[in-house]
Amino acid sequence: MPTFMEQAKKNSSKLLEVIDLETHFHTEEGVVKAVNKINFTLYRGETIGIVGESGSGKSVTSLSIMQLIQSPPGKIVGGKILYYPENQASPIDLLTLNDKSMQQYRGNEIAMIFQEPMTSLNPVFKCGSQVIEAIMLHQKVNKAEAKQRTLELFERVKLPDPERIYNAYPHQISGGQKQRVMIAMALSCNPSILIADEPTTALDVTVQKRILELMDELKKKIQAAVIFITHDLGVIAEIADRVLVMFKGQIVEQGMVREIFTTPQHPYTKGLLACRPPLDYRMSKLPTVSDFMDIEYIDDHFKIKEKIIPKGSLIENFKVTPEATQQRLQQLQTQKPILEVKNLNTWFPMKKNFFGKPTAYLKAVDDVSFKVYPGETLGLVGESGCGKTTLGRTILRLIPAHSGEVIFNGHHLFELSDKALKNIRKEMQIIFQDPYASLNPRMTIGNAILEPMNVHRILDNRKQRIEKVMELLEIVNLEAKHFNRYPHEFSGGQRQRICIARALALNPKFIICDESVSALDVSVQAQVLNLLIRLREQFQFTYIFISHDLSVVKFISDRMIVMNKGKIEEIGTADEIYNHPQKAYTQKLISAIPNPTF
Amino acid sequence: MVRYLIKKISYAFLVLISVIVLISSIIYLSPVDPAQLTFGQRQDIATVESKKKALGLDQPLYIQLALYLNDVSPISIHHNTPSNATKYNYLRLLPLGKKVLVLKVPHLRESFQSGKPVIHILKTAIPRTAILALTAIILALIVGVVLGVLAALNQNTWLDNLAVVVSVLGYSLPSYVTAMILGFVFAYYLGDYTHLNIKGGLTELNDMGDEVIVWKNLLLPTLALGIRPIGIITQLTRSAMLDVLKQDYIRTAKAKGLGKWTVNFRHALRNALNPVATATTGWFASLLAGAFFVEFVFSYNGLGLETINALKTYDLPVVLGTVIFVALAFSIINIVVDFLYVLLDPRIRLTTA
Repeated sequence: MPTFMEQAKKNSSKLLEVIDLETHFHTEEGVVKAVNKINFTLYRGETIGIVGESGSGKSVTSLSIMQLIQSPPGKIVGGKILYYPENQASPIDLLTLNDKSMQQYRGNEIAMIFQEPMTSLNPVFKCGSQVIEAIMLHQKVNKAEAKQRTLELFERVKLPDPERIYNAYPHQISGGQKQRVMIAMALSCNPSILIADEPTTALDVTVQKRILELMDELKKKIQAAVIFITHDLGVIAEIADRVLVMFKGQIVEQGMVREIFTTPQHPYTKGLLACRPPLDYRMSKLPTVSDFMDIEYIDDHFKIKEKIIPKGSLIENFKVTPEATQQRLQQLQTQKPILEVKNLNTWFPMKKNFFGKPTAYLKAVDDVSFKVYPGETLGLVGESGCGKTTLGRTILRLIPAHSGEVIFNGHHLFELSDKALKNIRKEMQIIFQDPYASLNPRMTIGNAILEPMNVHRILDNRKQRIEKVMELLEIVNLEAKHFNRYPHEFSGGQRQRICIARALALNPKFIICDESVSALDVSVQAQVLNLLIRLREQFQFTYIFISHDLSVVKFISDRMIVMNKGKIEEIGTADEIYNHPQKAYTQKLISAIPNPTF
Repeated sequence: MVRYLIKKISYAFLVLISVIVLISSIIYLSPVDPAQLTFGQRQDIATVESKKKALGLDQPLYIQLALYLNDVSPISIHHNTPSNATKYNYLRLLPLGKKVLVLKVPHLRESFQSGKPVIHILKTAIPRTAILALTAIILALIVGVVLGVLAALNQNTWLDNLAVVVSVLGYSLPSYVTAMILGFVFAYYLGDYTHLNIKGGLTELNDMGDEVIVWKNLLLPTLALGIRPIGIITQLTRSAMLDVLKQDYIRTAKAKGLGKWTVNFRHALRNALNPVATATTGWFASLLAGAFFVEFVFSYNGLGLETINALKTYDLPVVLGTVIFVALAFSIINIVVDFLYVLLDPRIRLTTA
């Protein structure tokens, strides 16, 4: 706890005070209270983190401060946002300003960095011109001066070769570099408040680490207060001084970052902390938020009821001893492999000569060999572009291989005719990353699950198939009565479970999960991971689990492969690789995981 | 890039040859004898036969085609005679016995009916049609973009609804229907006030027998031709603009503190115009062809009127000449569109995948 003196000093240097802020969205289903009477204060020089899952209102809070809420459907319906300018006695309520006056604050006093660096820069303008635009607008300097400042800023955010980046279009530079350009743009007018809305979520962990280091360094130099919004508690621990935890539009807990991590008070915070896959020990399943609390809905209000948990028992109960892990591994490897990949190459033509014959290749998968045993989960981890997704799809023959062999249950997959392949495909299924895009919005979920069964003529008649679908829905913790509903009626986690049910419809033996939990919130991710583990025990499934998130891969996998630039960097048991990484690349990957220790 | 261009040009070449073969075959297979049509009511078999022979129409189709292609091709083989030398005005490249390989301006032959060289007919008609198509597309671009932007910025208001209704009406109407309605209303009913002609070309002979340009005859054809593209450009601009306004980089621009005007026009419209610009260029080609009906309705003396008149008399060389020109224009404009994409959107590079 800060001392009384500290508190007093801080009070005198208030920068932003949000009082009873309410932002509503008018949707077809009625009014959504995205931000529901929240209160918090930002002091000069501090960094506050806002954590919460999708729909908790954290981004809406930041956009409300900037008054960039899309209207319609959104509208700020109540509250005050008081901004305390330096050397001025009385604060200004930003919500009372008209759009024209608000423009003087945006970019100038309050700057913002967004989540998607890929789409947040205008594709038709050069990076440099997008930054000087802000400088020329607020600082009233000429173009040459603005360019000079932009180059200095690029230097400051550690962009290599600032002059080149200045003249580059956004698509010509990497995602990390784009985010640096965004940061440079945000810092260009020396704002007193910097709002960073999930600035590293779309980036690889190693890039995320460098961006976080940069932000940490900058915030010391620039004296701006930072509001850092993220769903990732690990990131928050690295950057924030104080944390606000948001849930369904309300702040359920706020405190110093250390307090929140060591002695969380609210059951939701406790759940959120517990449901992250642990790195230092193995667990048979993950606790979920619902282990900690129940939500009761009364009209448009909700009430959170804490569940009583015998102290420490949740995590302790789920822990798996190293001996048990060892035993399972040994037992798995005594079997005959279900899948064998030998010297697999998947190359994409990069350049072609005049007659269309490729002359140079991008080696997306480069001489990869490994085995998978029945009942095993093999993790495949690596940064974007390392070839992990291509590898998964090549195994299923969704992408043609350049050379190599894939042997599944004794069948050489690349030598099979299309008809024979169709038969084998029943036994090999894939679950994709995006549960929103992989379900047809015009097909009821029952029919979506039924469709592959019809194609492969599983079971004798439609009646039996429908019964099977109902059974599958129950297996993935949905209800049989959901059969005739459409995908939009389900949340992201539910949709991913529908996708899992669809994959199960053909009684597969082998499932490739391609970033299957990456688009989900941590608490939902925990549920889906638990489901995958339960199915593995129940049906003896073999998984290849592809993810960029090492902690998730480590949690679910028996063995794992680290991929880099199309090649296998390292292969071994999950614990071995995490605890004793041999290669520099693996070490870099592991050290980049935000892992708060208090 | 060079490979890309070569590929596109060879496609264009194939299109031209197919067009020539197709049109020639249709006319050859039709029961009407073009030679017969060059005479009026009075004719005897002998004269028609001799005319047929003179025009080369007594030969089988494939020979007619081969000879025509040889005439049209800039590099061709001809008998090395003085009469051919003056007819084709060629440059000898390589003697091949009695024949010679030559380089020449494509020879489009002469009209069956008037005996005028087709190339001359094209030279007078093309500028008139080009002016018509150009004014129509400029009109469509200005009106369409303004309407589209206004509609997008005022989405779901009466202005937006009005723009959508007008544009749907605009592009649902075939241009010859619009042409007839416009002509009827503005040149016939209101003719006393507007002083517009219901029929008239861009150039007319005055009382002294000189050819003079009559600009007011351009007005109604331009409107008739422009209404469809107005509808389409409005819709295109509107949807592109709505799409762009939802993009993250527009939010970034607003977060910088830029004013509405800069955000909407510098950042949004610049992106929204990419599809519009390329579509408009593509439309220009179809306007050249689409002008046929409008020209016919207003008796506007351009390429279209010339072609329709030629079709009536099965004047094969004129029909082929105009069709070749239109096909060529389409091909060239399509290549230009591809390069325009690259120019407008720095993310696009031309490759042959």
